[in-house]
Formats: sequence, C-alpha cells, structure tokens
Amino acid sequence: MSSDPGVHESRHPTLKQYVGIAIFLFVVTLIEFVIILPVDFRGAGWTIAPLAILSAIKFAAVIFFYMHLKFDNRLLTWVFLGGLALGFAVVFALVALFLSWTPSPRSYAAEHAQPCTFDHEYVCAQYKPAPTPLPTPTPEGGAAPTQVPAPDDASVNDSGELVAVGQQIFLTGQGEGTATGCYTCHTIAGLEGAAGLLGPDLTNIGAEAGNRQPGVTADDYLRQSITEPEGFVAEGVERAVPGLMLMALTSGLTENDVDALVAFLKEQQ
Amino acid sequence: MAHHTEISHHAPEEEHPTTTGINNRKLLMWVFLSSDCLFFGSLIATYMVYRGQSLVGPYPVDIIDVPITTISTFVLLCSSFAMVRALAATNEDRQGAIIFWLLMTAFLGAIFIGFQVYEFNLFKTEGLRIDTNLFGTTFFTLTGFHGAHVTLGIVWLLGLAWVAKKGRVGPKTALDVELAGLYWHFVDIVWIVIFTLLYLIGGFDTGPAGDPSLVPHSITGFLGLI
Ligand code: HEC
Repeated sequence: MSSDPGVHESRHPTLKQYVGIAIFLFVVTLIEFVIILPVDFRGAGWTIAPLAILSAIKFAAVIFFYMHLKFDNRLLTWVFLGGLALGFAVVFALVALFLSWTPSPRSYAAEHAQPCTFDHEYVCAQYKPAPTPLPTPTPEGGAAPTQVPAPDDASVNDSGELVAVGQQIFLTGQGEGTATGCYTCHTIAGLEGAAGLLGPDLTNIGAEAGNRQPGVTADDYLRQSITEPEGFVAEGVERAVPGLMLMALTSGLTENDVDALVAFLKEQQ
Repeated sequence: MAHHTEISHHAPEEEHPTTTGINNRKLLMWVFLSSDCLFFGSLIATYMVYRGQSLVGPYPVDIIDVPITTISTFVLLCSSFAMVRALAATNEDRQGAIIFWLLMTAFLGAIFIGFQVYEFNLFKTEGLRIDTNLFGTTFFTLTGFHGAHVTLGIVWLLGLAWVAKKGRVGPKTALDVELAGLYWHFVDIVWIVIFTLLYLIGGFDTGPAGDPSLVPHSITGFLGLI
C-alpha cells in the first residue's frame, strides 16, 4: 500500500466538507436541546424517538466522516459495527431481562423509595414546600387582601381564599382543571417558585392590567389574557412575545379556576 | 516508534504487507474501539436497568443541568473538528499547524473535563455521591469512565504535540496522528450517546411524589440560564 500523501489525501473529505460536518453536528445538537426546552416536553415519552434518531445521525456522521470509515477498508467497518452491534445487544438483552423500558420503579423501589428531601437551593426543587396561603400584602395595594371583599363574585365569600386558590393554580397548574403552570413562564417578585422568564413579569400586573387596553377593565383584561391568550398581545411590555401563551395551555381551566387566577393576579400590585 | 527519523518526512513509509491489506496498528485500534463499545454498552445497560430504581434522592430531575452540559457537548464536538484539522495538517506537513491543532484538541478536551469536574463537584455539594443511590452509582461510573477516556486522550495528544515539536510528525508518520484521532472521535461519539441518554432523556426522571403538602415546582435553574 502506498502512503504517498497525495493519494492518501484524496480518500479524505476536504476541509470544506469537514466544516460542513462540524456545522451539521452543531445544528443537530441544538435541535435536540430545543426539543426538550418546553417544560411539558421534558422527559415526555414521545421525545425518545426523535432524540435517539438525531443522536444516531450524529454518531454516523462522526464515524463515517471524521473517522473516515466511509473511505477506508470495508473490513474496518465490519470490525467496528460488529462490536457496536454486540454492545447494543448487551443493552437490549439486559433491559429486556429486567423489563426496564421505562423509568418506572419496579416493586421494591415502588415500595421503598422516598421523596427527595435534601435541602439545597436547587436540589429537590420539585418538592418545595407548598407556598404560604397568602401572598404578602403590598403597601401600594392598600388593605391586605383578606380585608377586601370580592367585588363581583358571589360564589366565594372570602376573597382571601380565592386569592390563595389562585396562587395555588399559578404555582402548580392544578385547580379544578389543569393548565400549564403559569410560573414556568411568568415571574412574580417575592413569590417563591414564580421565576419564569418566557412571558411578561406579572409582579405589578394588578395595577397595570386596567391600563393595557383602552376601555377594558383590569378584571376583563386579566380574564381575557387567560382564557383567550391569543386574542391580543400586550404592547410595549418586556417579553410579551406573541404565540407563546397559547390557548391550549389554559383551556383546561374551569370558570372557577379562572376567577381565582384573576383574583390572585389583581392582588399583584 | 524507533523508525521515525528526522531526516525526511517524504520518503515513502516502509509498510510490510498484511493479509488483511490493512496496517496492523490501525486494525488493532479499530478492534480496540469495537471492544470499547462493549465496555460502554455494559455501563449504559446498567444505567438503564437501574433507571428509576433509586430509593432516596436526589433524583435526576433534582440535579441534572441540561444547558450547562449542552455547552460542554458543543466543546467536545469542536475538539473533534480540531482533531480532523490536526490530521490534515500532518498530511500536508504544515509543522506549525500540526502542533497548533493537536494542542487545540487537547485544550478543548481539557475544557470538557473542566465542566465535568465542576459538575461532579456541584453534585457532591448538592447531595449526590457515588454511594448515595443507584442513580449516583450508575451515573458517576458511566460518566466517570468516559471522563477517564477523555483524560487519557488529552495525555496522548499532548505527547504527540511534544513529538511534533521535535519535528518528528509529518506525512510519513501520519498514522500516529490518525490513530490518536480515531480514539478521540470515538470518545466523542460515546459522549453523543451518553448526553442523549443521561441528560436529554433520563435527566428529567423524578422520584416518588412525597408529602401532599409539598407541591411540584419547576426547576428554575434550567430556565434561568437561558
Ligand atoms: C408558555 C409560557 C406561558 C405560560 C405557561 C403562561 N403564560 Fe401568560 N403570557 C406568556 C406570554 C409570552 C405573554 C405575552 C404575550 C401575550 O399577551 O399573549 C403572556 C401574557 C400574560 C398576561 C398579560 C400580561 C401583560 O403584561 O399584559 C397575563 C395576565 C398572563 N399571561 C397570565 C398567565 C396565567 C394566569 C397563566 C397560567 C394559567 C399563564 N399566563 C401561563 C407566556 C405564558
């Protein structure tokens, strides 16, 4: 075999092709990252197939081009793919043996596992203690929420209770119905857990809502923002990106849930 | 590698014929990489089998930070590109470029390892050690062995750069660089698999929901970084 540099080189991709592959790998990794960006997609079963396919494509690009298997003796391809296939077979066999296709706990773990309790700023984040029933009363808002009777809601007498329910829905997405937790996108300063950065800051929404649309009261504005989020987009508000807060995110809420959220948001002044 | 001389890079390399028609060192490298697939395959299988079986936290979702690791994944991908450039420079006998790209590859690999050291340390302070739960054991074993592979690769590349500095790397000895490259790219593809499996797919696994007075809560660190 001659190893004359000229001959040797012609079997390798050109610099341009190498740059192309590098960009390709970069973009595919970015796509993978974007797939798991929305909170509801993280860990969702359907993401497994696209993620596996994308990484298989990256894998192939590296071995066939960077490792130039494509241009080398066929025997090397078989040697490598043979080991790779055996490796896969080992994974497949073991997973099949333990029936662990999903991460669900088997009987022992199901009986003995304990929730995460380690106390650290980030850790065990999904098990933060439930928020205190009432948000701290704000000075500008005048009286504390408990002392303000709900102006136009007959079904619930205690507006403080309604506000607390609203806060609960805001932080969990769970009311009588369900919605994507508002906290994932919205920040309310001083409310632990509400630190989302995808939508507008709602810290003072109670004071601002009445001025958003001419002739629309704070109540109606908030109600419409929740029930018909695609109806209008707040203008001149930071992070008021159209198309992010979609009907589908909130359509699972019941009338009462919306009432509670509106009551809660009005208190954010 | 006693037959490397400084006299001429351009004399055709004396390669004795082999029955396979493939240089024996290169075949050995591929056989090794093939067997390494089995090594990592069994560690991955272990991770998969014990996925979701931990009895105490922290569980993956409590601790895995996908954005940071996406960045270190990019760094490792870039290092593979640098490696490719090192081999091209070797074939073209551009001495300065050989050393530059070899060192660049090692440097990017070292940054990747830096991220890993940071991550392991953070996990430790956050309460996940190798003996904390099955997640910790399988996670640290798998990513730790990968990190060891990267570290070995860095040492190899630095050694090559040192030899290159003495002018002993060129087209005639391109196989030396090529073999290091094969190893390096292999380590990169193993990471492609680990990143997908342990971070993008398994990184959101939760433990059992606890006390009903504790409510689910988003990982604000995740979004806060974007
Ligand atoms: C996917 C992210 C996302 C989620 C989840 C989300 N929002 Fe929004 N929200 C936005 C964005 C982006 C806007 C600005 C664009 C618009 O008005 O449609 C917005 C606007 C608003 C506004 C108007 C803000 C202003 O300054 O005028 C209110 C009120 C609101 N959201 C309340 C909620 C409530 C209550 C929930 C939970 C049921 C919720 N949002 C869930 C992203 C989100």
